[in-house]
Formats: sequence, C-alpha cells, structure tokens
Amino acid sequence: MTSLLLHIGAVLVLPFLVSGVIQRTKALWAGRRGPPILQLLFDVRRLLRKRRVYSETTSFVFRVGPSAVLVTSVVSSFVAPYLGIPSPLAFPFDFVWFAYVWGLGRVALMLSALDTGSPFAGMGASREATFAALLEPAFFLVGGATVLVTKERSFAAILSLHATQGTAFVVWFASVVALLVLVQVECARMPVDDPTTHLELTMVHEAMILDHSAAELAFVQLGATVKLTVGLGIVATLLNPLAGRTTPVVVALANLLIVLLLAAAIGTVESLIARLKLRAVPQYIAVALVASGVALLATTWTPGGPG
Amino acid sequence: MPSLILAGLVLIAGAILSLALRRNGHRAIAAIASQAAATVIALFTVVPLLRGATPFTAEWAWSYPVEIIVARVDALSAFFLVWSMPMTLLGTIYAVGYLRADLDAGRNGGTHFALLNVTSLSFLIIYCTQNALVFLLGWEIAAVAAWLMVIWDYRSQRIRFAGFNYLVSTHIGLFVLVAAFMLMHAETDSMDFRAFAAFLAKPGRLRAATFLLLGASFALKSAFFPFHTWLPRAHAAAPAHVSALMSGVIHKAGLFAFLRFTLLMGQPEEWMGWCVLGFGAVSAFFGVLYSSAQRDLKRLLGYSSTENVGIAAMGFGMGYLGLSWGKPSLVVLGFGGGLLHVFNHALFKCLLFYAAGAVYRVAHTIDLERLGGLVKRMPQTAALFLLGGIAISALPPLNGFVSELPIYAALLSGEGPSPVANAGLVCAAALLAFVGAVSALSIVRAFGVGFLGQPRDPAVHATEATPAMLAPMYLHAAAIIAVGLAPQLGLAVVREALSLFPVGADDTVSRTLAGLFEPVQVASLVLAGSAAVICGLAWFTGRNARRHVTWGCGYTAPNSRMQYSASSFSAQLARIFEGFLPQLRREKLPTTTFPAADGHLSTHHIDPVERRMFEVLGQGEDMITHASERIPEQPRFAFAAGLLTIVIAVGLLLAGAR
Repeated sequence: MTSLLLHIGAVLVLPFLVSGVIQRTKALWAGRRGPPILQLLFDVRRLLRKRRVYSETTSFVFRVGPSAVLVTSVVSSFVAPYLGIPSPLAFPFDFVWFAYVWGLGRVALMLSALDTGSPFAGMGASREATFAALLEPAFFLVGGATVLVTKERSFAAILSLHATQGTAFVVWFASVVALLVLVQVECARMPVDDPTTHLELTMVHEAMILDHSAAELAFVQLGATVKLTVGLGIVATLLNPLAGRTTPVVVALANLLIVLLLAAAIGTVESLIARLKLRAVPQYIAVALVASGVALLATTWTPGGPG
Repeated sequence: MPSLILAGLVLIAGAILSLALRRNGHRAIAAIASQAAATVIALFTVVPLLRGATPFTAEWAWSYPVEIIVARVDALSAFFLVWSMPMTLLGTIYAVGYLRADLDAGRNGGTHFALLNVTSLSFLIIYCTQNALVFLLGWEIAAVAAWLMVIWDYRSQRIRFAGFNYLVSTHIGLFVLVAAFMLMHAETDSMDFRAFAAFLAKPGRLRAATFLLLGASFALKSAFFPFHTWLPRAHAAAPAHVSALMSGVIHKAGLFAFLRFTLLMGQPEEWMGWCVLGFGAVSAFFGVLYSSAQRDLKRLLGYSSTENVGIAAMGFGMGYLGLSWGKPSLVVLGFGGGLLHVFNHALFKCLLFYAAGAVYRVAHTIDLERLGGLVKRMPQTAALFLLGGIAISALPPLNGFVSELPIYAALLSGEGPSPVANAGLVCAAALLAFVGAVSALSIVRAFGVGFLGQPRDPAVHATEATPAMLAPMYLHAAAIIAVGLAPQLGLAVVREALSLFPVGADDTVSRTLAGLFEPVQVASLVLAGSAAVICGLAWFTGRNARRHVTWGCGYTAPNSRMQYSASSFSAQLARIFEGFLPQLRREKLPTTTFPAADGHLSTHHIDPVERRMFEVLGQGEDMITHASERIPEQPRFAFAAGLLTIVIAVGLLLAGAR
C-alpha cells in the first residue's frame, strides 16, 4: 500500500521536478536565471486550455495516439521500481512487459506522426524505430544478466543487485552504463537528440511532433517526461546505496534525490556536449550494447554459477 | 472417430457439389454449408479432448504394403483441428467477397471452392493419422490443393511462375520426408507411427539423421530461413484468402508434424534443442529483416510468417532443451509458448492478409509506394489492420505478447546447466527483442505509409470492403482481443496438448503458465482500461477541433509524393544491415547544374538466398563442367587413392551407423 501511494505521488510530482531541474541546470550553465522549477506544469496547463488544431490529413489515429503515449508511460511506471522500492504491480518477468509497453507508446507516437503526412514526421518516426530496434537487445541483455546474477524474476528484485564481489560489481557497473545510454537514446536527450530545437534536420523525437499542438502536445511532452523520470529512476535504483536497508519511505526519498542529481547531470551534459552526427548514433547505441554484453559475459564467470 | 469420418464425408460431398452445381452462388453455398457442418461435427468431437477426455483410436486392416491404418486423435491433433477447420471456413466466406468480381464475370468458382473443402479434409487426414503412407497422402493433398489455389489468376505468367516455384519447393520437401520415412521403414519394417516411436526412442546416429531429415522437410513446409524462397512469391501471387490460409493454417502442418515426431521421440538430445533454437532464431532474424524492406504488402506479410514460425521454433527449442535437461518448467514454457504462438499467428496473420486483400480488391495494387490515405476511405479495414499489426508486433495488451512471454520466460529463466548455456539463452532473448522491435518498425511502416497520410497516387481508388470480407476479419479481431485480455483462454487451448509431454506432475502445466499469465492479465487489463478511457476521452473531446493543413515546417507547395516513402522509412535500418539485405539500384541521376534529360532512381531489395539459388541453378552445368575438367583423363595414383579413401570412409560411416 505504501508502495502504491508513493508511486502515485511520485508519478504526479516527480516528472515536473525532473524537467525543472534539467532546465535550471542548463540555465545556470548558460548564465541565465532560468524558468521556474514547475515550468512544465504551467506549460501543460496552458496547452490544455488551447483550442486543438488538427491537420485535414489526419484521422482517428492522430486523435488517439498522443493520449496512448501518455497512458503507456504512466501505466508502465507502475511496474518499474524507479523509487528503489518494490513496484506496486511487480510480477515475474514484468520487465519484459515494461519494455513492450514502452514499445506500444513508441508505436502510438510514430503512427500519429505518420498520420499528418508530413515528411519531417516520417523521417523522425523512421529514426525512432531504427534506434529502438538497436536499443531493445541492450535492455534485454541487461535484464538477462541481472536475472542470472540475482536469480530473481521481477524488475524490482533484479535491480536490487548489491555490488560487493568482483563479478557482481562488473555486472552492476556495466548495467548502469548500458541503462544510462539507453535512457539518453530512448528519451531523446543529448548527445543523441536535442529536445530544444525544431530547426535541425538531424532530429528524432521532435520531428515527430511538429504538427502536434494544444492537448496533443501536452500529452506527448508529459509522456516523454514521465518516461525520462522512470528511466532515470531505474538507474537511480541501481545506484541507491540505501536500497533494501531502511524503511521504504527513506529509500524512496534517497532515490528521489539521486533522480534529481541525475537530472542535473543530464542538464550538464546537454550544456557541455554537442549533439552527435546522426550517423554516429548507432555507434553510440553500440556502447550500450557492448556494456550490456560485458554484463552478460561477467555472469559466466560467477563461481559455481546458477543451476 | 465415426464422427470425424462423417465430417470428412460431408467435406467430400460439399466438394463434389461445388463441382457439380451450375451457379457460382450455389457452389459457394455448398462449400460453406458443408464446411460449417463438418466443422461443427469435428469441434463437438475434439473439444472434449482439450478438456481432458481420453484420446480415441481406430484401426483398419488394409492390404500390403500398408497393412494397418491407425487413426488416433489426441490433444495435439485436437489443438490443431480446433482452429484450422473454423479458420478455413472463415477463409471460404472471405473468398466469396474477394472473388466476387471474377465470379460475377462468369469465372467458374466451383473448383476453387472444392479445393477449399479438400484443404479442410487434408487437415483431418494429417492431424489424425498414425500411418506414414496416409500421412504422405494428406500432406500431398494439402500441397497440391494449395498450389492449385495459388494459381487462381493462372493467365498471368508471374503467377504461374510463383505457383510452379511453390510446387517444386514443396516437393523437394516431400522427397526429404519420404527419405526420412524410408529410413524409418527400413529400420522398423512398418509404416506405423507406433513402430517408428520404438525406433526413435533409441539414441543413435540413425535417429540423428532421421531427426535432421524430418526437420529439414518440416522447415521447408513451414518456410523457415533459408528454405523460405518460395513463400514471398507464392503469397504475393495467391488470392488473399489463400495467402492467409497458407501462411496461417496450412503450413502449420509442418510444425504439427515436428511436434508429432517430437512426442514419438520421447527424450531428445541436447544438441537437437540447440539446433532447433538456433534455427528458429536465424529464421526470426532474417524473416523480420526481409519483411522490413518490402514494398509489396503481401510479400511483407509473407516474410513475417518466416519470422513468426521462427519464434515458435525458438519456443520448441527451449522445450527440447527442457526435456534433455530434465526441467519440466522449461518444457511447459517452451512448448507452451511455441504452441500458443502458432495459434496466435494464425489469428493475426489471417486478419492482416484479409485486410491486405481488401485493399488489393479496391485499389488493384498493394505497392506501399502507391498507397496512402486509405484510413479515410476504408476506415474499418484500416482499424482492423492496425489491430492485427499491434498484435503481430507482440505488443500488450493483445495476443502476440501472450505467446511471446512464455518464450521469454524460458529464455531468461537461468535454468540451464552451465553459466555459458544461460548466457547463450539470454542472447537468444535479446535477439527476440530485436525481432520484436523490427517487427514493430515493419508494421508501423506498412500501416503508416499504406493507410495514413495522403494518397500518393491519384489513380488508386478505394472504398470500404464488402461485409463478406469484413465479417471474417471482425471474428479474427475479436479472438485476438479475447486471447490478449484473457490469456487463460490460450492456456485452456494448449493445456492438454502440453500435458502430452513428459512434464512430471499433473498440474505443472497449469501452475507454470497460470502463474505467468495471471499477473500479466491484471497489468494488461489496467493498461487496456486506462487506454480506453483516456483515448476515448481524447477522441471525444477532439471532435470540434479546428481543421488546418499539415504544417510541414511552413513549406507552401507540398505534394503528396513528398511524404516519407516506405523505402526511406526502412533505409536506415537496411543500411546498417546492408550485408544481409542487398539492394538493387537502378539509377540515372542528373549530372549537370541544369540537367537536360530526366533522371530516375529505383531501389529494390531482393532476396539474397533466392538470388544465390538461381545463380547456382543457372550456372550449375558450368560448375559441374569446371569441376569435371579438373579430373585428369588418366586417373593418377593420388586420384585413385582419394576415391578409395572416400569409399572406405562412407563404408565405415554406414557400418558405424548400424
């Protein structure tokens, strides 16, 4: 029950904080004061009040797609242990379900982009689909490696991987690296995609929502921020030193803090590093693949081994 | 058993009536009515088997060389019959709508309807017999009937070639199967499967050879990579319902036969499991990669069949490994996931082929580069295609996910005997994840380019499909949603068939699969429920929205040809996997600043396996000539010694095989 309440509270508040912290960090690096921490909330409120405009080309897919994006990211957050405590909907192999629900959100986003008939949207959708295809194996390699090390089946349990001995440490470290890259690519952050510009041709996520406005834009942006929060939360759970040691509320608070620190780190990276060339993105994804492969290889060195 | 014979007789009577009656309407009614009657009879007989009734057997004495024909209907036969016959019936109903234009123009549809009846009859034979010769008879009936149905438009050279290609390929498979049966007959002096079982239960080199022969033949039947080359051609050429039935139903006979012989074999060896798993993984990988680059919608769906049988085979491979490692949970998850995937694939693949056929009927093309904007003109077909597409990409909350989850659970369970084996299985899971993501790309591309956006070609007209075509699609869609939201339905269908495998305690099957499905059902219901509410709300509140043109970054002279094309959508992925996906480019690009002549560029992804095959076939004579030129005219000592060594080696191998 505590877990459910904490997760509901977190999914309502945390995304706004994460977005605000990233914006503030970037503003600090740029020497500006920056927007208020809750700017995303104001943006969403403003967008929801606006009148919707649909292209004449679009069909029911465009009307339904953006809300499907929001629903999938919120519902998937209930199986993801992004607060460092067991998730309210944990079940065996829930991480497979989690990955596929994210996939469903991606399909909804790509289809509502293609529905506008805009060449830019098609380009963005094509890139998103290609990167997702390269990224998916990395997630499952990390999942498989952590399953083999912890001998557990649910998402929350496999992430409570305590890195004490040599091989477990290698698995842990490689998983953190792989998941960080995964979050960067999946949530369209630098150095893969620049979430602030519309005017570059080397873009992925933003190109898909050029024709979204009002409520549709609000849904897509909220959905993306929830996804980013959950992604960072998963990495934070791996990093959290308190996980499983004290009461759930304390663990969750510590996790929250780590998530906000990671958000600040993302803001810093975005301020200091330029976006990669589009052709280099598959190579960047290869970093995640190699890291997850290392994690899996490390499991074969575990003395005794499972079974 | 008498009731199944009655069902067969009803089917034969229906086929004869379809041939004899004078009007196409009456022929269709004869076929549909007889199939409906036979299906009802068969279902009443086999459904109790799925709920735990004892299998029934019948025997007939026959003259030499058959001697005795045994028919045995167990839960595995029941599982395959329970969806094959109703789906063939739905295909026949769809055929009435699909062939309407041809039939109204005076074409005699009697043969075609009779062939559909015969197809249903061949299922009764293949799935129930325990005799190799009768099995071959049913196998051949199904193959020839499918060939004759593929060449419905036989006036086109392209379609005759596709049919011929299929006929040759399927008979190569038949030869391999005959070889396997001859091997077993030679060892057992019988054509009866029970005698085969006694031979197959003993590990040995001959058993391994038989396993490989059977595997190759069934892989050809089910279009595994690299035996798939006939499939995209046949599926693109055949009428939509024939493609649907071939891909979804008829070729599942290969997987059935594989499982039948697995059951006869009892305890397989470990290498067989790795072999099946690897073969399935390779099929899934190449199938999905090829499907992502196709322009022709039906070819695309054809390649995705290769992918999906590969996924099912990955499940079967896990089942094999579970059998050889003595892990009942792996047996249940592997074979359970594989069997469910066979069923689910039949559900969504038929739906997708029917939708593609509906497009072809009105638009007269299924080239993605010429379609677009169909969602406005045929909204029901579009929505049904989208549903099937989400299911085939294995996305929750639909049925594709329900069958892939047990396979993932088996691959990721970490129950292998060594860390290296476990890591290998995790790699297979990662490959399956890649396959899932590319399959989502492929279906987004097909739906997004074909159905969304604006029409690319003003010459293509489209209207909604007729009720005779829509009704089977709706039934398939309902089943997809039902199995997706209530996985217990799927479990109920496969439970008894799984209990045939040695899984230890009686309740292992239900316990393992229910433990996996119950929480997923809750999660999927939460997802589906909230999505229905929120999306419904968004759809409802969006009805008064203002309308405007697509912004497109403010470009003021847009043209519907400027939309992202299907080729560009998959170009990036195709470039990354260039080695596996060779591209044929024909181009004459403008060179100067003010080009005088028009340029052109066309790209086309060809099937590398097929190209290589034709190369070898085309140059085969040259190759043999070259090889024979190297043989000296006066055989020298080295040459003679080489020959002698080969003869001795073969002799020793044969002697060792005994």
